[in-house]
Amino acid sequence: MHGRTDVRRRLVATLAGFGALAVLVCLLAPLVGSTSIHLSRVFDRSIPFADNIDAQVFFIARLPRVFAAAIVGAGLALSGVVFQALLRNPLAAPDTLGVSAGATLGAMLALTAHADFTLLGISVVPLTSFAGAVGALVIVFALSLARRRGTSSTVLLLGGIAIAALLNAAGRFIQYLSDVTDTFRTVQWLMGSLDVGSYAPILASLVPFGLACIGFVTLPRVLDLISLGEEAAEARGVDVVRTERLALVSASLSTGAAVSLGGPVLFVGLIVPHIVRLIVGADHRLVLPASALFGASFLIVCDLIARTIVAPVEMPVGIITAIIGGPFFLWLLFRGK
Amino acid sequence: MLLDAVDLSFAYHRGARVLDGVSLSVPRRSVVGLIGPNGSGKTTLVRVLNGTLTPSRGRVLLDNTPVTAMSRRDLARRIAVVPQETHVTFDFTALEIVLMGRYPHLGAFALEGPDDASIARKALAATGTAALEARQFATLSGGEKQRVVIASALAQSSDILLLDEPTTALDIGFQFEIASLLSALNRERGTTMVVSTHDLNFAAMLCTELVLLKAGRVLAAGATKDVLTAANIRRLYDVDADVTFHPRAGHLTVVPLARTD
Amino acid sequence: MAAVPREIVRVRGPKRAALLLILLLPAAVGAQAHRIISIIPSTTEMLFAMGAGDRVIAVGTYDRYPPEALKLPRVGALVDPNVEQILQMRPDLVVVYGTQTELKRRLERANIPYYSYAHQGLADIFSTIRSLGMRAGVASAGDALASRLERELAGILARVANRPRPKTLLVFGREPGSLRNINASGGTGFLHDMLETAGGSDVLADIHRQSVNMTTEMVLARMPEVIIEMAYTAESINKADLDAWNRLSAVPAVKNHRVVLLIGEEFVVPGPRVATATARMAAALHPEVFK
Repeated sequence: MHGRTDVRRRLVATLAGFGALAVLVCLLAPLVGSTSIHLSRVFDRSIPFADNIDAQVFFIARLPRVFAAAIVGAGLALSGVVFQALLRNPLAAPDTLGVSAGATLGAMLALTAHADFTLLGISVVPLTSFAGAVGALVIVFALSLARRRGTSSTVLLLGGIAIAALLNAAGRFIQYLSDVTDTFRTVQWLMGSLDVGSYAPILASLVPFGLACIGFVTLPRVLDLISLGEEAAEARGVDVVRTERLALVSASLSTGAAVSLGGPVLFVGLIVPHIVRLIVGADHRLVLPASALFGASFLIVCDLIARTIVAPVEMPVGIITAIIGGPFFLWLLFRGK
Repeated sequence: MLLDAVDLSFAYHRGARVLDGVSLSVPRRSVVGLIGPNGSGKTTLVRVLNGTLTPSRGRVLLDNTPVTAMSRRDLARRIAVVPQETHVTFDFTALEIVLMGRYPHLGAFALEGPDDASIARKALAATGTAALEARQFATLSGGEKQRVVIASALAQSSDILLLDEPTTALDIGFQFEIASLLSALNRERGTTMVVSTHDLNFAAMLCTELVLLKAGRVLAAGATKDVLTAANIRRLYDVDADVTFHPRAGHLTVVPLARTD
Repeated sequence: MAAVPREIVRVRGPKRAALLLILLLPAAVGAQAHRIISIIPSTTEMLFAMGAGDRVIAVGTYDRYPPEALKLPRVGALVDPNVEQILQMRPDLVVVYGTQTELKRRLERANIPYYSYAHQGLADIFSTIRSLGMRAGVASAGDALASRLERELAGILARVANRPRPKTLLVFGREPGSLRNINASGGTGFLHDMLETAGGSDVLADIHRQSVNMTTEMVLARMPEVIIEMAYTAESINKADLDAWNRLSAVPAVKNHRVVLLIGEEFVVPGPRVATATARMAAALHPEVFK
């Protein structure tokens, strides 16, 4: 019984366990794929990189995918945890408040306008998609400022859902107006793709993701308190207004970084927090870091399945996460408490 | 005086005034009851007293220091609040809920140590919920939940406990349980309490002093036996009631007889 | 003309004349269509190329060739055909997609004949030209057009017959500026057939789909010797964008600078311009032969 209060010990065990899992997955994932490569050739310095197929498969086709999956998985899982606490709703997800819809709208505009420019090695679609995410964040943040005493989570939730619906409708409208080829491309983007093929977009996404993490570091304990209610948190000394704004901005930046890098991958932000809570309990000081590590591992594994299960072709990673996530979500709803 | 409210006025954004010139004093070690009909401003007053709401006029003084001059965490170390109902979104255990009361002392980064664990356990024991420590809060009964929430407030190790209608959602058995608990806490630990309630009998049982609120104004304030009179009840509720001392219960009882409007 | 059933022979007199009329009328009507609506770019091009352009009264939203077609009213396309407008124009033949069941039902109810189009491989283009020509009443022009195209393609095939066939990846779309969501032609469909005719060996021949979503790993695994990217208009892609392939430098096509951009709508419309398209493709694959 005494062990259950020893947060320090449980924190160490959690980080060690999930950390080990993440490291293992990161090391193994680039070695697995639909093409067989030889590790000895990959690291053979005598072959010039420009001619080394095995090395190119490893360093251009696979490794960026693993990193992208890690960032997208961790980013969506973290924002899922934060939104669920902020909105006091275990069914909240990164796309609840409209940031994902904003990112989608940005991507669709680029795809249907046939825009084609590159900035610092990042192609147009991730750029416009991130801009869309930031736009949605600004709208939702303005909504949160409109209430004088911070936000009632219900107002934020309903307002965010309305904004998400609006932005999604705008996206659908753009799809409708575009010709069949462009619509097809937007549908492909919506299914998610981690095949970034280069490191520039990954490094770029680390900027908003890193900023988000700076916010996340201060949040775990106060998320515990806020999940009891705004009044309850305030009465225990939490600055609820400031915390809610910080949580909103961090989770939105994290979602924006993830969706603009890999597309809106369903279910990760919804189910990873739940799986983690089943293992470590409800304390956010454990749930937040564990979700980042497990989210990364989970998406790396899903992407691995997506690129090997129907070889020689590949499935979109969003379908694998939906196949796993859908039934899990139903189980969650029906297991009864 | 431990806690003083001086001439408080408060209105929600562009609304009518909910509190109008309210003053009250809470002596150390007393149990002060806030009585009043629905809409009289009781909950708002509790929120202003603990610093959650800022009055448009007037001040709240804690040991003669204005609460607005104190940081939220400092205030939380001195005043703890037990709300009417607690809805817990996630599967926290009872002990985890109680440990959250240590936040004002620990902050966002410090982890609970053995001292904190021991304070939490003592709080659970004081509310008779020690056996529920590892149970999930959401699976507890209404009375057990409220007792755990009180334990969480006790874990804040504060001087004052503010309770906002602590028994409204509970049945008569639990009501009695909570009233006995609070009495015992006041007796044994000397915790100062301010309790807002609908239930006149509960107030009579528990409170040493009463403040009667009507339409945001103080109708009467003072010792329970002086303030809880048929005349005051008529003025407060438009109800004719019989107020008598019940020898077996050991406190005043109020029985409503007829409406006077 | 439809074959006359034997039963007709036994009936005599006015009844026989009436029956013959009923049987032959549809064929007679169908044999000459003067108010044709075509909502499919390839059939529109076919009709104009067969000389039936003056019989076309309306076209689809995406029909852009020949220039005369641009002047005609537009009545929608695959997803959004404007049924009311089509009916109001009182056509005597409507060319529709095979999958447009709702539109077909409405046309049947209004007693308007339709031609159901499905596009698959290269050979289907010729059979479509011929049967559409018959339905439109320009059967000989249709046959002539189809024969001419067949001869042109056979000519290309002959010229590349003894050349080594480079392993080719045919890409018709990807996310701009990156190598994500590469859409390539698989082992079936008219693009595949064009590639094979033009003297290329389809690197995705074993995947029996018209469209394959490729990843960088798949490209590296298949090691194409030539990559042909097709774009419909000059706006949808620019030459600089081909630089995106440079990061896969181990791929022979990249190493040997054989990443080719072919721009033009003839690559997306399986119609009369397919011979031109195949010739351009062949020139990209075998520049020595076609210079």
